[in-house]
Amino acid sequence: MNIKACLVSFAILAVTCTLNADSPAKLPEPAARQVDFHKDILAILANSCAKCHAGGKQKGGFSIDTRESLVKGGESGPAVVPGKSAESRLIALVGGLEPDAIMPAQGPRLSAEQISLLRAWIDQGLPWEAGFSFKKTRSAPIEPRKVAVPAAGPNSNLSNPIDLILEPYFASAGVTPAGVVDDRTFMRRVYLDLIGLLPMPEEADAFLQDHDPAKRAQAVRKLLRNSQPFNQQYAIHWLTFWNDALRNDYRGTGYIDGGRLQITDWLAKSLVENLPYDQFVRQLIAPMPESAGFVKGIVWRGVVNASQVPPVQAAQNISQVFLGINLKCASCHDSFINDWKLTDAYGLASIFADGPLEIHRCDQPTGKFAPMQFLYPQLGSIDANAPQAERLRQLAAVITDPGNGRLARTIVNRLWARLLGRGLVEPVDEMDNPAWNMDLLEFLANDLVEHGYNLKHTIERIVTSRTYQFNPTSGVENDREEYVFRGPEVKRMSAEQFVDAVSGLLDTEYEKAVVAPAALAAPANVVVRRAGARAALIHADPLLSALGRSNREQVVTDRPKLATTLQALELTNGTPLSTLLEKGVKKWSESAAEPAQLVEQVYRRALLRSPTAAELVLAGEVLGAPATPDGVEDLLWALIMLPEFQLIY
Amino acid sequence: MPIAMNTNDRHASTWNRRDFLRTASAATLSALAAGDPRQVLAAEEEKLRPTADTVIVLWMGGGMAATETFDPKRHTPYEKGLDPDRVLSTFPAIDTAVDTIKFSQGLERTAAVINRGTLIRSYTAGDLGFILHSRHQYHWHTGYAPPQTVAAPHIGSVIARTLGPLNPAVPAFIDIGQRFDVGEGEELKAFHQAGFLGSEYGPFMIPQADQAAASIRPPHGMPPGRFENRYQFYKKLVAQSPIGEHGSDHQRESLLRSLDNAHRLLSSPAAKAFDLSLEPKEIYDRYNTGQFGLGCLLARRLTEVGARFIEVTTEYIPFKNWDTHDNGHTRLVDMKAMMDPPLSQLVLDLEARGLLNRTLIVLASEFSRDMMTEGRPDQQVKNQVEVPKVIEELKYYGMHRHFTAAGCVLMFGGGMKPGFLYGKTAEERPCKTIGNRVVIEDLHATIYRALGISPKLAYEVERRPFYVTKDGLGKPIVDVFA
Repeated sequence: MNIKACLVSFAILAVTCTLNADSPAKLPEPAARQVDFHKDILAILANSCAKCHAGGKQKGGFSIDTRESLVKGGESGPAVVPGKSAESRLIALVGGLEPDAIMPAQGPRLSAEQISLLRAWIDQGLPWEAGFSFKKTRSAPIEPRKVAVPAAGPNSNLSNPIDLILEPYFASAGVTPAGVVDDRTFMRRVYLDLIGLLPMPEEADAFLQDHDPAKRAQAVRKLLRNSQPFNQQYAIHWLTFWNDALRNDYRGTGYIDGGRLQITDWLAKSLVENLPYDQFVRQLIAPMPESAGFVKGIVWRGVVNASQVPPVQAAQNISQVFLGINLKCASCHDSFINDWKLTDAYGLASIFADGPLEIHRCDQPTGKFAPMQFLYPQLGSIDANAPQAERLRQLAAVITDPGNGRLARTIVNRLWARLLGRGLVEPVDEMDNPAWNMDLLEFLANDLVEHGYNLKHTIERIVTSRTYQFNPTSGVENDREEYVFRGPEVKRMSAEQFVDAVSGLLDTEYEKAVVAPAALAAPANVVVRRAGARAALIHADPLLSALGRSNREQVVTDRPKLATTLQALELTNGTPLSTLLEKGVKKWSESAAEPAQLVEQVYRRALLRSPTAAELVLAGEVLGAPATPDGVEDLLWALIMLPEFQLIY
Repeated sequence: MPIAMNTNDRHASTWNRRDFLRTASAATLSALAAGDPRQVLAAEEEKLRPTADTVIVLWMGGGMAATETFDPKRHTPYEKGLDPDRVLSTFPAIDTAVDTIKFSQGLERTAAVINRGTLIRSYTAGDLGFILHSRHQYHWHTGYAPPQTVAAPHIGSVIARTLGPLNPAVPAFIDIGQRFDVGEGEELKAFHQAGFLGSEYGPFMIPQADQAAASIRPPHGMPPGRFENRYQFYKKLVAQSPIGEHGSDHQRESLLRSLDNAHRLLSSPAAKAFDLSLEPKEIYDRYNTGQFGLGCLLARRLTEVGARFIEVTTEYIPFKNWDTHDNGHTRLVDMKAMMDPPLSQLVLDLEARGLLNRTLIVLASEFSRDMMTEGRPDQQVKNQVEVPKVIEELKYYGMHRHFTAAGCVLMFGGGMKPGFLYGKTAEERPCKTIGNRVVIEDLHATIYRALGISPKLAYEVERRPFYVTKDGLGKPIVDVFA
């Protein structure tokens, strides 16, 4: 710094001191607008206060880790009086009202604008983001925990442990679930959830006419049976889920020069055979050639960031997919968002590496190496001197060790999220977060393990519960309030479900399959449910992409839930859908049915119900008499755009 | 018939203000429900006054050789037996409207308008090892080198997410001229996306400018009347749907709203801007040097009705267009003839309409080219093109290797200094940057600054901030602002 600059800053300092000493400093007025904790306040606290008063540090006995500790204050009394910023000591200190105790004690003073935001925040009742804390994150225990399932009450006919566990939950949360859905809604929901297809009208009819009280459980079992007609449809439906999670696609970055391998055949076979989940995981971590693509990762030509070399990709991806651990930050530097360290990430990545893997911090070599070990070394050790294949076998054994409760918890939570629209733990990739019902999560995890890691068992357990069958809820979640489970969420059809439903409705092939896994070669007696390949087996195209099929370059465990304008454009005038409609309409318009009959058939096929009288009149006007192909096309388009069609209630 | 040229059309005041508010509140609602990435602002956030409302990126995909375009060096005419190392430029330099700036022959029209723009000669591409066009293009467009642990958004998506549409009836991010079935399509798709920001902010793709009208028309063969009736029928059907009686839910709301937005967009007067057949023939012909030229015309028409971010590409096709692995000299004659007229016309037309001062045009490429150097001089990478010791055939005469150590960026309007030259390169090989180096973070920061967006702006993904310039460290090039 040159002398002139020194003098200038000295002058400023002098002026500041004078002001503070001579005139009682005036506080800036509170900001007039509504403040947002996350947007307006968090940065001020993090930049100016956290160094001494957060993350376990509490100078002067004062910690801002939580709202409670902030209000409580420190050695000199309460720091904040919610609703009254002028009486809050915090404001007095940051505002310079006490010249001997100006905060922050280090670093620049808060600006007038920042102080006015803090004042507004306090005056507005100190809103805090639910669950937010400056404290290091919670670490979920690894070990499984036994859960006692409550007995059914004297007047209760509940028997599914899920329902029994949630009875006291609903009681204490003061929630009265809104009853179970009718047969038609159940049928549609369970078909779409388990095999990704709409039921055929005949199937729905038979189901509606069945008076057996156990018919729902029977229908579920039929869909999940390891034999035709539904087993392949089940496999194809869940293939999409696993393709997203394991970033397996039929073309994409990396394939261009052999930098990536498909695992489609292996995946299809595993799903058709319902491979127990522990074996499934072992075969992905310590792979055979057909399942090697997942840990091989995507190898780009050229230089990539050290945190994206294949062994580090493998460490990140197995942590995320199988354990709900975010190791991405810790692959570059000690994580700011959880307790994982750079050495943890490299310890795991080294197991996958061909040779010694030098630790890079923020892409710079450090000259150091991490001891080869799994994130939870207590589950078992890895022999650093063993060849790579052996090390991977050891790692696979450690991860699937019965002592690792996270493995089962992570997958049952994913299944719950798929089937009920929201996880017990959210986000589903952050399994250190608490579940809204810890006992239920733990029960489902133990139940999976006790049933030989049979995923179909867990799915059946969930969808035969009364809880799954409750009427849907559709609350917008609020950051500020703790989540309360009131029933399943309304779900949106996935891209694949939508395309399959429409091409099924039209009985028209959408696109040819681009993969033909041997396990999915249909035996002759398979019931042909619809024409053409299912959308899970084709390349992504503008329609599928617009509707949320990811490009599978990153692990994706959650598709976007809401509709977007670009999607709607694709649905309104996009070529793939309008071509499909045009092709498919022929069959309907040549059906020679009277308009009223035609409407009846179309409604039953699409929505599993007859049209109402009003709908019949409207549809008749559009169809024309006799029905024109244009009329049929417009009717079908309008029908498949209905929320009743596109949403899973 | 030309569409209305009233510049006021670009501002929310003239169209239905209620529509605008509805769109805005809709965005907020969906953000809440969908867990849309939240903005994280640095505490020391500056308030920036924007100098531009619209950005047009003209993308010279494939690697535009600086010494053959906007940074000419010593000219060595073709003759048999040339030593390739002697050749820096295969075209003579020409004068421009600015005394201190020379261009390469074939860019006469752009030379005549450079007094309206800033020329950067010191753009230094990322150091990504072995050269792969799509990786460098990804890097240019997102500011991050692939692969990334989260899907990085395209700069157009960041702008769409941050500022929203300028006119709610025009998609905020429009991408013109890139097809995905012409080679390396998957690699191109990887950055033509909004990534973790969510598909709402993704590009509205118009692969071919001359087909643009089809992208906002009813499905082919459907007359407008029927299209409208179909939608009205749909609305009535929704009202009748028994599920509607269960009351509102946000999934249903979002679906209905999205279709409403799409319908409004397709039937809005602004949609006429997509239809190039409405342009007077004389003007159309002036732009029509092929798809890129028509893309520039489309960009002009969309700017007039209030587009926010447009990219027009000469289209990246491996070994085609700017990707000159051979016949560099002869092919550049054609490339310049394709680019020079529409580029200059776009500048002049926007100026004549009073739009240039609020529209930032950025012409750029993923890297430059050189006859000898592959990569950068101090760290050359594996050569991808054979260069003979002695040039005996015309096909070897040209800049065929990928050069990352200096490249040109043109910036017109939107608050840039007119007739300004920034950055210096060596006069002799290697013609690398020797003054005022510009990297992608700084170029992005400059574009963001023009729009009033801080380079330190971040969006939260997986509980960490993802900055719009890498690590929030981009610095706007203050010298290029007027």
